[in-house]
Amino acid sequence: MAETPTLDERDRGGAGTPLLEARTLTKHFPLGGGAVVRAVDGVDFAVLKGETLGVVGESGCGKSTTARVVMQLIAQDKGEMLFDGEIVGGLSLSLKEYRRQAQMVFQDSYASLNPRLTIEDSIAFGPTVHGVSKQAAILRARDLLLRVGLDPARFAARYPHELSGGQRQRVNIARALALGPRLVILDEAVSALDKSVEAQVLNLLMDLRQEFGLTYIFISHDLNVVRFISDRVMVMYLGEVVEIGPVDELYDDPRHPYTRALLSAMPSMDPDNRTMEAPLAGDPPNPINPPEGCRFHPRCPQAQTVCAKVKPVLATAGEGARQVACHMEVAGSGHSRAPKLEEAA
Amino acid sequence: MTTLTEAAAPVVAPLAKSPGYWAGVFRRFKTDKVAVGAGIVVLLIILMAIFADYIAPADPTRSSMLRRLRPIGTPGYPLGADELGRDMLSRLIFGARLSLFMGVVPVFIAFVFGSLIGVAAGFFGGKFNTITMRTVDVFYAFPSVLLAIALSGAMGAGIANSLLSLTIVFIPPIARIAESVTTQVRGMDYVEAARASGAGAGTIIRVHVLGNVLGPIFVYATSLISVSMILASGLSFLGLGTKPPTPEWGLMLNTLRTAIYVQPWVAALPGAAIFITSISFNLLSDGLRSAMDVKG
Repeated sequence: MAETPTLDERDRGGAGTPLLEARTLTKHFPLGGGAVVRAVDGVDFAVLKGETLGVVGESGCGKSTTARVVMQLIAQDKGEMLFDGEIVGGLSLSLKEYRRQAQMVFQDSYASLNPRLTIEDSIAFGPTVHGVSKQAAILRARDLLLRVGLDPARFAARYPHELSGGQRQRVNIARALALGPRLVILDEAVSALDKSVEAQVLNLLMDLRQEFGLTYIFISHDLNVVRFISDRVMVMYLGEVVEIGPVDELYDDPRHPYTRALLSAMPSMDPDNRTMEAPLAGDPPNPINPPEGCRFHPRCPQAQTVCAKVKPVLATAGEGARQVACHMEVAGSGHSRAPKLEEAA
Repeated sequence: MTTLTEAAAPVVAPLAKSPGYWAGVFRRFKTDKVAVGAGIVVLLIILMAIFADYIAPADPTRSSMLRRLRPIGTPGYPLGADELGRDMLSRLIFGARLSLFMGVVPVFIAFVFGSLIGVAAGFFGGKFNTITMRTVDVFYAFPSVLLAIALSGAMGAGIANSLLSLTIVFIPPIARIAESVTTQVRGMDYVEAARASGAGAGTIIRVHVLGNVLGPIFVYATSLISVSMILASGLSFLGLGTKPPTPEWGLMLNTLRTAIYVQPWVAALPGAAIFITSISFNLLSDGLRSAMDVKG
């Protein structure tokens, strides 16, 4: 199991195929009276094999709903997902089989463990569902406890309330790994932990990724943590992807005004490099009635008439791997800061 | 992974078992003096009912026209005699059987069916929940006494019919509690995690839901035992439950009511028995509830 991701025996599409590809994923929650919350609204992204994709954004931007849809805990209204080239829930990849290959770690370490089950029973539950004998599952659980840094002799027979938050989150990680997944979704998995414990768990996650050849989707509101662990970062705003790109490129040179605002809100450690830009004012607009055109335009310092009318699409910007949904990046969009058409040509 | 698995013991060795949840509940319960006292009283009443044949000093149905309505403390009649000269102590001891039976059995049957309905409604939610719970609400809307009397009256007198009507009376409140507790548990991340590992609804309910909801439902049901006893006594009092000469506390209360001016203390005894038993069950369930509530 410690093979490199490209040599994974379950690999079908080869190293070039993304492990997970989401196509126009949409999830609206009806509120009654015709109103809908557009929690996730046409999200496209791909997670490459062996990488960590960080997902950042304000509260309520749809990060967690995206995670739940990707995990298929809630069904999408529109769009589809390809896992290693196969449609999730389709003929060649059933939902049950997909769930063996994709697992999730939740934020609340206490709520995500059954208080009536011992630690080893909690970890062993998943494998038994997939036909592993109880005894083999318990052995696997104890082995995994060891891998996540908990002594099975001390912890296996304990109950969740007897453990600290960091220990419980290690158990949750072990539980997610028990099925031998290829993709692990970490939904604010370290956000509730103390800083020192958070660092330990992050290091553990990095080690496990190496050891088991995992691919992560790492959702967090902590920009520093995302920079530390991610290979690529996806920025979400009001249920849409506004920017996606390699982590250093995106942090050093944010292209979307929202990304810029988000990153400038990060406190700097360097007194000469203080944030001079005004932070974002106000709360994000209501996802029930998102603004017309670009959803960020009411708060955007560079907003112009075109932004209120035309919705920008996610498009490759600059050279290579970056995608941005902003009129300032599209030649001929009508925004005064957009590159000139002849320049682009 | 394989190397480590082989290095581990080949058989699943039992590990030092942690005290666990129920041990904690028991430890907290022990410190609650009132609840322990109530538990002991309940236990004594149950033992009394089981061993009535050995404890009772006299035949509870043997009457004597000469010794009607003797006061408490009469030689040979430690708790007096009733309106037909039967030994009150023996009748109270034997009466515990039917009274306990009518208290526990309807609640237990309602616990099984109410939990089934409530857990299913809570777990599956949506339209199924709406249809099920609104149907339950129709029954819940009636005052329990009225519903019990109406059902018993419609089906006719007799123990079996009052048992059935009491069961029907208790299913709605238990189903409601079961539904609300299950709805809570269903939203927990561990249920989501179980779904994420590909488990079906049946497995999730069995492993993750039942263990977390049956405790609270059970505690609530325990508190209904006293209500059931009182309702059963009420039905007997109205002539819809037990028939004379069978000793049953509610029926005894009814038949002795005419003697309230002659021998008030003797006439009050069945009521006192109902009161002590039901308050003991209530205190016991209160103690269980608080012992189970505490986390950590």
